[in-house]
Formats: sequence, structure tokens, C-alpha cells
Amino acid sequence: MAILTLPSWLMLIALFAVPLVVGVYLSTRSDKIGSFVPGRAVGLDNYRRDVFQPGFTGALTVTLVITAIGLLIQFPIGVGLALLLHRNLRGSAVFRTALLLPMLLTPVAVGLMWRFMLDSDLGVINWLLDTVGLSRIGWLGEKWAARVAIALVDSWQSIPFVMLMTLAALSSLPESPHEAARVDGASAWRVFRFVTLPMLRPVLYITVMIRVVDSLKLFDIIFILTKGGPGKATETMGLQAYNVGFVALQTGRAAALGVAVAAVTLPAYVLWLRAQRASQR
Amino acid sequence: MSARGSRAGRWLSVGLLTVASAAALFPVFWTISTSVKNRVDTFANPPKFVRFAPTAKNYRKLFDSPDFWRIYGDTISITLASTALCVLAGTMAAYALARHRRFPGRRPLEATLVLVRAMPGMVLMIPIYQIVTRLDLYDNRWAMILIYATINLPFAIWLMSGFIEQIPVEVEESARTDGASPVRVFWNIILPLAAPGIAATSIFVALLAWNEFLVPVLLAGQHSKTLPVYISGFISNRTLDWGPMAAASALAIVPIAVFTALIQRRLVGGLSSGAVKE
Repeated sequence: MAILTLPSWLMLIALFAVPLVVGVYLSTRSDKIGSFVPGRAVGLDNYRRDVFQPGFTGALTVTLVITAIGLLIQFPIGVGLALLLHRNLRGSAVFRTALLLPMLLTPVAVGLMWRFMLDSDLGVINWLLDTVGLSRIGWLGEKWAARVAIALVDSWQSIPFVMLMTLAALSSLPESPHEAARVDGASAWRVFRFVTLPMLRPVLYITVMIRVVDSLKLFDIIFILTKGGPGKATETMGLQAYNVGFVALQTGRAAALGVAVAAVTLPAYVLWLRAQRASQR
Repeated sequence: MSARGSRAGRWLSVGLLTVASAAALFPVFWTISTSVKNRVDTFANPPKFVRFAPTAKNYRKLFDSPDFWRIYGDTISITLASTALCVLAGTMAAYALARHRRFPGRRPLEATLVLVRAMPGMVLMIPIYQIVTRLDLYDNRWAMILIYATINLPFAIWLMSGFIEQIPVEVEESARTDGASPVRVFWNIILPLAAPGIAATSIFVALLAWNEFLVPVLLAGQHSKTLPVYISGFISNRTLDWGPMAAASALAIVPIAVFTALIQRRLVGGLSSGAVKE
């Protein structure tokens, strides 16, 4: 039986295990892209210089902040839409198709279009704010506005995922507890809070984890919208490693940052693996 | 569940769903409308939503450049090849994982798959870039196909094991008592029965490959550039050329939109089977 996993193993070894080892090796060297001076071993200098520095902890904070804002947007809306769709009103299938679409679109194209829509002078979003009498926002040019904008665009693409996972969980729930609560005269909100929500917990837990991991990975949308700016306001860990490795061409230092990124995301892998094993029992 | 609650509640629900759907669709509409606008209409204030004279100029600009067609074709071929490889290897592994509680290497495989799925791409791409350039494989389609297939492997295996678990075990057991080897059982019995699942998984993996950005932006030069990299190229210009950019974006996302509308039931079914497996 193990033979059937052989092709997967070959791919995983060649393109995951080997690069990981090479990454750790590079992180102890001074290699640069395009340099005529061959790289040499520098021990832990790269770590000292880049990882245990405000630059990296700053990028880590930015990553976590954008992730947190995103979760606060995605989950209330995603779960809310799933509850609405679950009522099976007329037209639900059409709504579901429309609401599903953003998840499948090319992030680069999505990022560019939002960049155009969020443009502070010509963008349709600021025009809308103007029209309803709110003040314009310098979306991609101000520190917090840019962070919120990135979380918004990422949420626009990932709400469908939260919605689908919740919808699938809702349709597998038994009906009788809801009936019982309703017969006892519980309001719709109390039925949701004390009956539905506890039963959704396992699926929501996995969904939150997938979303956290994917937000930590987020790259293309930020690359298109702000490239980490203004200043370093939206420079996540991924963007920082990119800038060091492929803009400043410092391979060794970028590899050290990569190892650090892998290390700080470690809790997410452990939790995920544990959740997966628990669900198999 | 049948529609419950008051009339007002129903109308409120439909109202909210309408607003949400509008928010989901507007950027797509805006991309398409910008792609058929003249420069003047693109920058008009107040914005022009429908009342403008459409133009095919932006598309003509794209179609006239031979680069565009080559890139579109390359994106399709890289997507198809990496999807085939990923789904084939993934289905084999998924069968082993779904049907056999214990086999050598099961737990390490599970752990590795979670790591690949969860690890930020940049962590791997820094060393992969070095390896690929040392091996003289920069700007090589086959290198990209292999990398795409590997990073999408965890997702393919996860979806496929959901589908394989739904196939009744009895069919295999009778074949095995007739003396068929496990590999034969897999090839002659499981593969045909899992065909709908393989189709759904292939669609998802193809979407991921079509949309992939990090790998080609780092590893593709002139000969293997893909559509997302081409589209992102529009922002490096000083003056942003929104018209052709919107046209290129539309050509990336419209096939996805049409596809989604056609097969949405199967898409939802596919993802759902994974979600409620537990």
C-alpha cells in the first residue's frame, strides 16, 4: 500500500524536504544573488542581524494585525451569510453562486481591481463615501487604512470559504435540538447562540485555523496593493523576506528570515495536525 | 429546512443576500466595464457605470502583442500539466490514506502534508530559487510544473480522500478475494468509481495553478511567464494603464466565472464533503 504514496513522497522530498534543508544551510551563509564574491559561512550572523531585530518583530506584528482584522471581518459575515442561505429562501442557489465567486478569482487580478477601486482620487469607493456624505479615505497611503484595506480585500476573497464550510456544517446538523429550543420559546438569537453555535464549534475551529494559516501566507494581494507600504506599514513576514531576498538580493539573510517565519508559524502546524488526527478518530 | 419566520424576516434575509451578492459581483463587473472603456470614461467623475460608449481598443492592444497569446497558451499548458501530475499522485496517496489505517510512513506523510499546506511560500521559494538557478532550470516550464504540483498536493489529497471514503468498501473486498493485487484494485476499480471526485479535484487544483503567482514571479523569465505575472507587470509602469490591465484581468477571471456558474453544484459538493468529513 505504501507504494501508492511513492510518487507523492518523491515530489515532497525533492521540492519540500530538500529546499528546507538547503534553506537552513543558506541561512548560515553570506550568499548574494549576482555577486562575484562567493558566499562564505557566517554562522548565526544572519540571525543576529535580521531575525532578532525590530525589523522582523515589526513584520511579525503587521502579519498578526492584518490576520486579526481579517478574521473579525470574515467570520461574522461568512457565518451570517451561511445562516441566511441555510433558510433556503427562493433564489438561494443564485445567491450561493454569486457569493461563491470571489474565492475562485485570480488574486493578482483581484488585487489590481481593488487597487483601482480604492484609489484615493479616482476610485469608486471614495466616490461612494463622498456620495453618502462620509469623508474620503486615503486607503493605500495611510498606515491603518492600508492595513484595513488589505484585510478587506483578503476578506472579500475568503468570506465564501467561511460561508461554504459553515453551510456544509449546518446542513449536517440534526434538526431536533432546534425544534425543542423553539418549542420552549427561545428567541432566534438564543437558539443560534446556545444551540446552533455550540454544534458548529468543531467545523468553525478548523475553518479558523485554515484562515489563520492562509492569512499568514498572504502574499500576492499585498504585493499588488501596497508592496508593504506606506513605509513598512503593511510589510508582512513574507513581504520582508521577499524584499531582502529578491530586491536587496541578500540570499543568506532572506533564508534566515525564512527559517524564522517557519519557526513562528510552528504552533499553527501543530494545532492543525492535532485537529486533523482528532477528527479521524 | 423550509422557509420559516415572518414575512418581514424573509424580506430582510433576501435584502441582505442581495446586498452581499452585489458586493461580491461588483469588482468583477467593474473589471469588465473598465476593460471596454476609453481612457476618458475610465477616469470620469462621477464614475460611469453603464452609460458610456464601449470600445474594444484595450483588448485589441493585448491581442496585437504576440507575447500575450504565448503567455495565455503557456498558462494553460502549465496549468493542465501540473494538475494532471498533482491529481494522479494525489489520488494514489489519498487511496492509501483513506483505506488503510496503518502502513509504513503514514504518520510522517500526514505531518509533511500539513507542513506543506501551512508553510508560507516564501520559506521554500528562497532555497528553491537557488536550487533552480544552480541546476540551470530558471525559466523552465517543467520545473514550474513540478513545483506547482507539489504545493497543491496536500489540497488534492485532502479532497480526494473525502471522495474515496464515500466509495463502498465491499466492491474492493470482493475483487481482493478474487486475488487482485492492491495496485490492480486501485487502478481497475477505484479509479473509475472515483471519476466524479477526480473531476471535481482537478477543477480545484487547476484553479489554484491558474491563479498561482509567487512561483512564476520568482522562477519565470520570458519563456514561461504566466498570466498573473503578466497582469502584475502593469503596475511597474509609471502611468498605470488601467484599460489594458482590466482587459488582461478580465481574460484571467472570466473563464473562471463562466466555469463556476456551470459547475457550481459540484464545486460546493466537493468542498462540503471535505468540511463535514469529521
